[in-house]
Amino acid sequence: MSVKTHTNRSIRGWIAIMAAGGLLALAGCGIDEPSESGDGDAGADSSDGAEGEDPIQIGISLPLTGDFSEPGKGVQRGYEAWASYVNENGGLLGRDVELTILDDQSNADRVASDYEKLINQDGVDLVFGPFSTRLVVPAAQVAMDYGFLFVEPAGAAEEVFNQGFTNLFYAAPAVAQDHYNYLAEHIEAMPEGERPQTAAYAAMDDPFAQGTAYGLKEKLEAMGVETVADEVYPPNTTDFSSIAAKIEASDADIIVGGTQYQDAVNLIIALQQLGYQPDLAAFSTAPTNPEFAAAIGDKTEGILSPTGYTPESTYPTNAEFVEFFNQEHGSEPTEDEANAWTTGQVVAAAVEGVGCADPSPECQGQLIDWLRNNEVETVVGPLTWDAEGRPQGAHLVQQYVDGEITIVLPDDAKEAEFIYPKPEW
Amino acid sequence: MDLVVQSLVLGILLGGLYALLAAGLTLYFGVMRVVMIAHSAFLILAAYLAWWFTSTTGLDPLLSLLFTVPLFFVTGVFVQRVLIARLKPATLTMMSVLLTFAIALMIEGMLGFVFSGTQRRIQLPYSGASFEIFGARIAVVKLIAFALAAVALAALYLVLKATRFGQSLRATIQNSEAAALVGIDTKKVAGYGFGVGLATAAVGGTALALDATIYPSLHWHWIGPLMAIIVVGGLGSVPGAAAAAMVLGVSQSLLQIPMGTTWAQTIFYIVLFATLVFRPHGFFGGRLAQRF
Repeated sequence: MSVKTHTNRSIRGWIAIMAAGGLLALAGCGIDEPSESGDGDAGADSSDGAEGEDPIQIGISLPLTGDFSEPGKGVQRGYEAWASYVNENGGLLGRDVELTILDDQSNADRVASDYEKLINQDGVDLVFGPFSTRLVVPAAQVAMDYGFLFVEPAGAAEEVFNQGFTNLFYAAPAVAQDHYNYLAEHIEAMPEGERPQTAAYAAMDDPFAQGTAYGLKEKLEAMGVETVADEVYPPNTTDFSSIAAKIEASDADIIVGGTQYQDAVNLIIALQQLGYQPDLAAFSTAPTNPEFAAAIGDKTEGILSPTGYTPESTYPTNAEFVEFFNQEHGSEPTEDEANAWTTGQVVAAAVEGVGCADPSPECQGQLIDWLRNNEVETVVGPLTWDAEGRPQGAHLVQQYVDGEITIVLPDDAKEAEFIYPKPEW
Repeated sequence: MDLVVQSLVLGILLGGLYALLAAGLTLYFGVMRVVMIAHSAFLILAAYLAWWFTSTTGLDPLLSLLFTVPLFFVTGVFVQRVLIARLKPATLTMMSVLLTFAIALMIEGMLGFVFSGTQRRIQLPYSGASFEIFGARIAVVKLIAFALAAVALAALYLVLKATRFGQSLRATIQNSEAAALVGIDTKKVAGYGFGVGLATAAVGGTALALDATIYPSLHWHWIGPLMAIIVVGGLGSVPGAAAAAMVLGVSQSLLQIPMGTTWAQTIFYIVLFATLVFRPHGFFGGRLAQRF
C-alpha cells in the first residue's frame, strides 16, 4: 500500500518517464481487457433485450497494477466472489450480474477516463468504486456527473466526504478519523490517575493513515493528554531510526502510529532497538496483516490496531461470506475483500429495495435516496450514512493477546480483556 | 543532548550502510562509464535471497553470502560481457541507462512473480536487541550491517590497491587506452570490475535485509540517494563515495531533529545540486564527471 514519491530531479525524472512508457507498453499487451466479460457482450446496452433476461452490467475500475496493485487485487477478488455468489443464488432482480473490470494502473487520470468509458461507451447499469482515496475522488466525480450511484470500498479519508458528492456511500463501518473511537472512549473512561499523560504520534503523509492517528490525537488532546512528539514522514521513508529516537527522547506514555505496513514494522523495531517502552502502542493497518507477526516475532504482545473487519465477526451474513470465499480461494477474506463484498451487498440492497437497475437518472436517483433512508445489513455490520456518505459506525479495536490478534473493544464484541499498560516488548 | 548523540550514532551507522550500497555503483561508472540503474534492484534481489535462505533453512542470513557473493560476481561478469560490452562506446553512458533500467524492471517483476508483492522481513532473534554506549543505544543488527560495510569496503580497497587485478582495474579507470597499450586486457578487467561491483551488491543487500522490510519495488527508493552519493563523492572514486555517504548519512540524521523527516531527505538533492554547480567533478573523483 505504500506510495512512492520520487524526489530526485534528474535521475528519477528519467525513471518516471521510462516507467510511464513501460506501463503503457504493458497496457498495450492487454491487461486492461475486461477481466470478466461473460459471453462477450460486455458492451451491450441493457435496454436492447427483454427485462429479466439480460445480465445486469456492473462497471468497475481497479488499480490492478502500480502502487495499489496488492489491495486492488484484493478488492477484485471480493467483487468477483460477490458476483459469483449472487449468480449462484438466483441473481439480482432475477437477472445475473456481470462485472467489467478495467485496470487504472493506480493512476488518478486514468480512473476518471475508465468510468467515463464504462458509463458512456459500455453502457453499464451500475458502477462500483475503485480502491483508495486518491482514486475514489476523481471516479466519484465522473459518476456524479452522470447521476450514478457510487458506493465505494476504500476511500476513508475526510477529503472524500468534503467534496460535495451527493451520490457517494462508503461501504465500511467508519471513516478514518473515527477508527479509534472505541479506544478514545475507553481511555476517557479510565480513572484520572491511570490515564496516560503524554502521547507521541507518528503518521505517514497520506490522507488515510494520517486521518486515523489525528482522529485519536484530537480526542486525546481534548481530554488533556499532552502531545509531546508529532512526526509526519513521506510515504517513501524506509529508515525510521531517527523518528524512533525523537519519540524515545520525548518519553511519551503512549505511541500512536498512523501507518500502512512497512512503516509500522520498521518503526516498531526501531523503537524496540532504542529500548522505548510505552504503556500503549496503537498502529493502523499493519498489525492486522498476517505477515506482521512473522516480521516482529514474539514482540507483538499488547500492540493495538483498529479493524473494520474480522472473519470471526458474528454479523448475520458474515458466516456465509467467509464460507463461500474459503471455497473459492482457499483462504479467509481480508478487510479489502470484505469491503468489496460489502459494496456489493449495499448496492444489491438498494437495487432490491427500489426494484430497478438501469443507468437512467430516475433509477439511479431512487437508489441514492433509498440508501439515504435505510439501514443495510452487511458482513461488516449494519450500515447507515450521513448526507456526505460517511458511515456512522466505529472500528473494532484489536490487540495482540497471548500472541493472537483479538478483539478487545468495544465491550459487547470483545473476545479478551483490554491489556493496559501493555507488557514490555 | 542525548537526542543529538543518539542521532549522531544512528547517522554514522546509516552512513556506513550507504557507503556499502553505493560502492558498486561508483565502480561501474569508474571502470566503464556505465550508469547502473539496476544496482539497487540487485541489492533488493540479494535481500530477498537472504530472506528466502533464512526462511527455508532457518540459518542466519549472513551465511547466504557464501553463495550470493560468487553468484553475483558471475552474474556481473556475464552482464558486462554479454550485454554492456555490446553497446557502442560513443553512446555507452546514455544507452547503459536504458539497458540497466530494463534489467531493474525485470528483476522487480521477477521478484513480484516469484515471492509475490507481500512485504517481507527477516525475523531474527536479535532484531530488537541493543546495547548502550555513551548514552546512545546501538542496535545489534545495525552494528552488524555497519561491520559488514566496513569489512567489505576494506576488502575492496585492498583488492584495488594491493593486487595485480586491482592495479589493472585502476589503470583502466584512469585511462583505458593507455592501459591497453601496456598490455592490460581491458575487456577482461572491465568484466571482472563489473563482477566485483555486483558482488558488493550481494553484501549490501544482505546488510540491508537485516534491518529493513523489503518488497519488490523498494529499489526505486534507493537508487536516487545512491546516485546522489556517487556524484557528490566523485564518479569512480570508492573512497569518495564512502566519505560522501558518511557525510550525507550523518547530516540526514541530525537534520531530522529540527526539520522533520520530509525536509531532511532533501539534503541529498541539495548537496547534489550544490556539487554540480560548484564542483562538478565531485570532491574526490578528479575529472571523470565531465564526461558524464
